[in-house]
Formats: sequence, C-alpha cells, structure tokens
Amino acid sequence: MSRDRIRGLPRPVGNPQTVEDDLPGMGPSDCAACREELSAELDGEGDPARRPAVRAHLRTCPACTAWREQAAVVTRLTRTAPAEAGPDLVARVLPSAPRGSRRRVGARVALAVVGVVQIVVGIAALVGLVGHGDGSAMLGGADMAHMGHETAAWNLALGTAFVAGAWWTRHLAGLLPVLGVFIVVLAVLSGLDLAAGRVEPDRVATHAVLLVGFVLSLAVARSAPRRGPGPAPRAVAGPRLGEDAGPDSARTPLASRDDLGPVARARPPRRDVA
Amino acid sequence: MDDAVITDAALAARDGDRAAAARFVELTQQQVWRLLAHLADRGAAADLAQETYERAFGSLRRYRAESPARTWLLAIARHVAADHLRRRARRPVAPALLDDADEPLGAARPGDVAEGIALRLAVDALPTDRREAFVLTQLLGLGYAEAAQVVGCPIGTIRSRVARARADLVEGLGSTTTAGEAAVREP
Ligand SMILES: [Zn+2]
Repeated sequence: MSRDRIRGLPRPVGNPQTVEDDLPGMGPSDCAACREELSAELDGEGDPARRPAVRAHLRTCPACTAWREQAAVVTRLTRTAPAEAGPDLVARVLPSAPRGSRRRVGARVALAVVGVVQIVVGIAALVGLVGHGDGSAMLGGADMAHMGHETAAWNLALGTAFVAGAWWTRHLAGLLPVLGVFIVVLAVLSGLDLAAGRVEPDRVATHAVLLVGFVLSLAVARSAPRRGPGPAPRAVAGPRLGEDAGPDSARTPLASRDDLGPVARARPPRRDVA
Repeated sequence: MDDAVITDAALAARDGDRAAAARFVELTQQQVWRLLAHLADRGAAADLAQETYERAFGSLRRYRAESPARTWLLAIARHVAADHLRRRARRPVAPALLDDADEPLGAARPGDVAEGIALRLAVDALPTDRREAFVLTQLLGLGYAEAAQVVGCPIGTIRSRVARARADLVEGLGSTTTAGEAAVREP
C-alpha cells in the first residue's frame, strides 16, 4: 500500500492524544476507531462489544482490511525480533540495596543473649531446687519447692520466648502484652517485698534480666519494617516526577494485593520476546 | 516472569535481604534496560538502569506493594529516562548521537538483522508517547493495564497510543521512508 493512501485516510478529530474510548458507535468511515480496535485485538486486548462494528467496517473498507494485514506483519516482526540484551547490573547496583538496620540486628542479638541467660537462670534454679522440698511451708496448696518449680518454668518459658522472638521477630509483638504485664506486676511486688524485707536484693536483681529482655523486645518489635500492602495505591495516577514513591501522598484505602484493580484484570498471556 | 515473585523479592530486599535484592535486579534488569534503551538512549541505558535501581532502592522502604514491584520499578525507569533527556537537552553537546552509532544508520543487512534494525530505528523514531506505549506493550510484553499504571494514564490512552504507533510503523516500514523522516512527519 502506498504511503499516500494511508495518509489520505481520515484522522480522528480533535486532539489525537485525547481521542479514546469515548468514540461513539463506529461509523462506516471511522477508520481510526476501527484500527484502534484492530490494534487492541492484535494484543489480545480487544473489546468484544466493538467486534461486530469492526467486522462491519472491514467489509466496507479495503484500506482498513489491508492495514490489518500490515499491522499484523509489523507485530509479528516486533515479537520475533531478537531481544537486545543489556549488561548484567547486579554487582553494580547491589551496594545501594537496603541493608538491615544495624541497630535492629544488634537488638536481636542482644535479645537472643538475654534469652539464653534467662534460660540458664531458669535451669540453674530448677537444678538447685529439685529434691529440696521439705514439705514444711505450704502456700496456696503448694509447698515452697513447687513454687520454685513454677518460677523456674516461667523463667524457662520467658527465656525461650526471648530467643524465639529474636529469630521470628514477627511474633514478638504478640508477646509484648504478656511480658509487659508480667514485668509490671513483678516490679511492683518486688518493690513491696524489698521494702518489707521479704526478699534479698540479689534475688530482685535477677529480675533485671527480664526487664532488659522486655526493653529489647520492644525495640526489635518497634523497628520492624511494615510488611504487606499498606493503606493504599496511588492507583492509576502513578508516580509523578520528583516523587517516585512519594511517602504518604493522598492515599485511598485498599484491601489486599489480590485487589489491585486494573492489574488484576484478566489479560492475555505475556509475550516474552525471547 | 512472575509479578508475584518479583514483588516478594522487592519486599524482602526492602527488609534488608541482599540475596532478594540481587534476585529483584536479575528478574527485572533486562526489561528496565530495554525500556531505557528505547526511551532515552542505548549508549546510556546501562548507566540509566543503574540510576533506576539506585533510586528504587532508595525509595524501597516506602514501597508497600500497592502495585506490582515491576510496574513500580518501570515507572521509576521512565522518570529516569525523562530526567536524562531533560539533562541532555540542557547541554549543548549531545554525546548520545555518538553512542547510538553502534549500528550504521540505514545499513542494509540481509534477513532478520536488517529487519530488526529497521524496526528498531522505526520504533525509536516514534513520538515519545507512542514509543513509550509501544515499547511497554510490545517489547516488554506488558498488558495495557500494566502499561497504563507505569505511565500513569488511563488504559484507553495506552490503547490509542499503541494503535497510533502501529500505524506509524506500518507507514514507516511499509514504504521506503527512512525512520528519520517518519519522526518529523508527525509531531
Ligand atoms: Zn476503514
């Protein structure tokens, strides 16, 4: 087909950039709308509702019929053209990749250490206690030895929780209320007991390990990067110049990654130009 | 290529996982490079791709997987290309022309190679908006919706730009017109 023939075809009216979906029904001479639809069909993005109008137009318009053939050739050529390969950039760009926060890593290690100390304290107490119950002083239905066992069990549990939390940091947040209540109650009671002379300061000092563990847990949990879908997409608006990923610009609520709007729509299989 | 895999890699990279960052780059770098080669210039594409990843890593901590990481990354690449063209326009010398000369213009080579070069020249001669839509959907294989997300425009705009790009290419490749002429023909 000669160039002039194509050039002579009617162009869409108005600003070429804004003529879009809103073209009303396809008139017999509306070649631009017809070709847009033919083009979309080549990409598997055709609109079934417009199909009959396109077919009708093609029957009356040899120019568009010829254009369809040529467009198909160009499309085939594009997809079979050898893909140009760029250089491997991994080594060049990796230095700028985000690092895990040093302080966070430090807090996690410290938390694990505190957990181990706590476990050791628990085991030591347990070993020291086993078999030492003399059945004399009973408290709430348990003798002192059993009370000691309960304490040791708690120490072991909390130590394990610290170590586990240091590893699986995501579970740490759920642990905080338990730890918090335990430590506050223990602190208040220890203070009262100290004042009344019911406990040695040395004994109370061992509780400091718990307090340190709690503070570290708090630090690790608070420094956790937020994961998963945040409040919202900038949707189709896309990032504008200069604010590539603007922090908190106007966001609307979004449910989940399964609900990505336009992107989640069915689309044709990806055409990977090998 | 799986968008979910790329997005997961981006999220893990955000949390400081270096191996995931490397995977993220491996999975996306060809598309990033190709987009930049066509939107900016081929000779600078590697440097621009590097700049794209540096920007992406810089703002990764604000990435919340609201859109697939690949779309997010390509949108950044697009801005890098625009910034590059603006920088280059401000400078009197255009070194890119030299960089681009790795393929002789209009050289007739037999078979696919010649066709490939002719196509590349014709694509690079398209007006920016159409070239962008065409490269995203045809050379990178994005769906119209994804391309719209990268560009930040309605799907219908991508649809019509792709169609216009095709029309230009049909014209440019169908006749003996050189790509350069095709560029001036239609602003
Ligand atoms: Zn027609």
